[in-house]
Amino acid sequence: MNSLLTIFLGMALINNFVLTKFLGLCPFFGVSKKISNAVSMGAAVTLVMVIASSATGIIYNYILVPYKVQFMDIIIYILVIAALVQIVEIIIRRTNITLYNALGIYLPLITTNCAVLGVTLINAQNNFTLVEGIISALGGGIGFTLMIIIMSAIREKNELADTPRSMRGLPIAFIIAAFLSLAFMGFNGLL
Amino acid sequence: MWIPIAILSAIGVICGIAIWVTNRTLPPEPASLKKAEEVSGKLPGMNCGACGFPGCFAYAQGLSKDKNVFFSNTCSTVLQDQNMLSGLEKILNLTIDKSAMEKKAVIGCNGNSETIGLYLGIGSCKSANKILKGFKTCPYGCLGIGDCIKVCPQNAIKINIDKKIAVVDPEKCNGCGLCVKECPRKIIKLVPADAELVFLCSYESAKDIPGREKCDFGCIRCRKCVKVCENNAISWDREKLIPEIDYSTNLECDASVKACPTKVLKKYPVAK
Repeated sequence: MNSLLTIFLGMALINNFVLTKFLGLCPFFGVSKKISNAVSMGAAVTLVMVIASSATGIIYNYILVPYKVQFMDIIIYILVIAALVQIVEIIIRRTNITLYNALGIYLPLITTNCAVLGVTLINAQNNFTLVEGIISALGGGIGFTLMIIIMSAIREKNELADTPRSMRGLPIAFIIAAFLSLAFMGFNGLL
Repeated sequence: MWIPIAILSAIGVICGIAIWVTNRTLPPEPASLKKAEEVSGKLPGMNCGACGFPGCFAYAQGLSKDKNVFFSNTCSTVLQDQNMLSGLEKILNLTIDKSAMEKKAVIGCNGNSETIGLYLGIGSCKSANKILKGFKTCPYGCLGIGDCIKVCPQNAIKINIDKKIAVVDPEKCNGCGLCVKECPRKIIKLVPADAELVFLCSYESAKDIPGREKCDFGCIRCRKCVKVCENNAISWDREKLIPEIDYSTNLECDASVKACPTKVLKKYPVAK
């Protein structure tokens, strides 16, 4: 149990996906203009990360490792993640229209998100078991959601400030993210 | 060598079968969704939210359930585009009278009101309005910072630098009404698109008749416009003490426009 908590905190705060590893920057900068959109996006990314890591964890531990073909992980994971997100979208669309409309375009948008592939490859790299893999994906997703909500709150306030014309939009957002990243370096000695 | 190929092909085939199975076993799309997709093909897809629905697809769903939603929550972009309008009329079996429904936004301020000081706060009309009721001497004037500009989906509003107010371009405006909700002083109004006259002053307090104290360029209540007008297009509102234009008849009154001493009454569309 101790090691599971370590993995969870490690993926959420210390090795945060966006600020430490610089994965998943597309949705981080693209969807963080309003807090409501940011919450939806974070929830969708967490969902996809957990589902993807559970499926790929099974494949890694029970197919790739016994046959000693771990080098195939990248291509197989891409295939599996794409198919999985498509299946999840079909299920949600047919069973619960309200939820589908709430998530909107975000669900297909994160199929190619590098953070999702990153979580699965990190699980493979660290040789996590299935449960450890799922907990690490959960931590990564929650860390991503936390970051995108903080970023959108700061950006909403920044809209009212007097930014120089050439820095408006993406440039100032990158600088804000750099400050956040510096701040989160303080978590380095947490565990 | 064969093992990796076999594993990759097997996983690929399993993924394909899984998608096919999911597609077949789950209940099919509800029929209303198909109609909503057809309707949303005729909508602009801007997702501006002016209709009151959260996005164009939600509007299409509302329309597919009840076609009269178009009259209670009108999409002004559709109203201006003939292709979309006729397509929508065909799919929903509606008859839409375009000229009766089109509206344009007008900001009720003639500008040039004096300021009581330099404003260095948050760059938003809402914030400026909360401090001492704004930084202009007239409490009903346009502050000119531009909250309305930020919400306009058509980019129809611009700041007039000489007069220091925001002005709506009647050609680009489609009357969606987002700016009306956004203005903290509530001085933006919707007028019919074929209106002949507009009145550019929003001073409302009946007791506090300003004369020339608050603003040199607003209405001074001389009532010349009402006296000179022959066809009853303008009448005097006794409660608010401002002239009231009758938009239902839409008659023009060039004599009143010329007679107004502060040029607050103008012909619409306002010439640039």
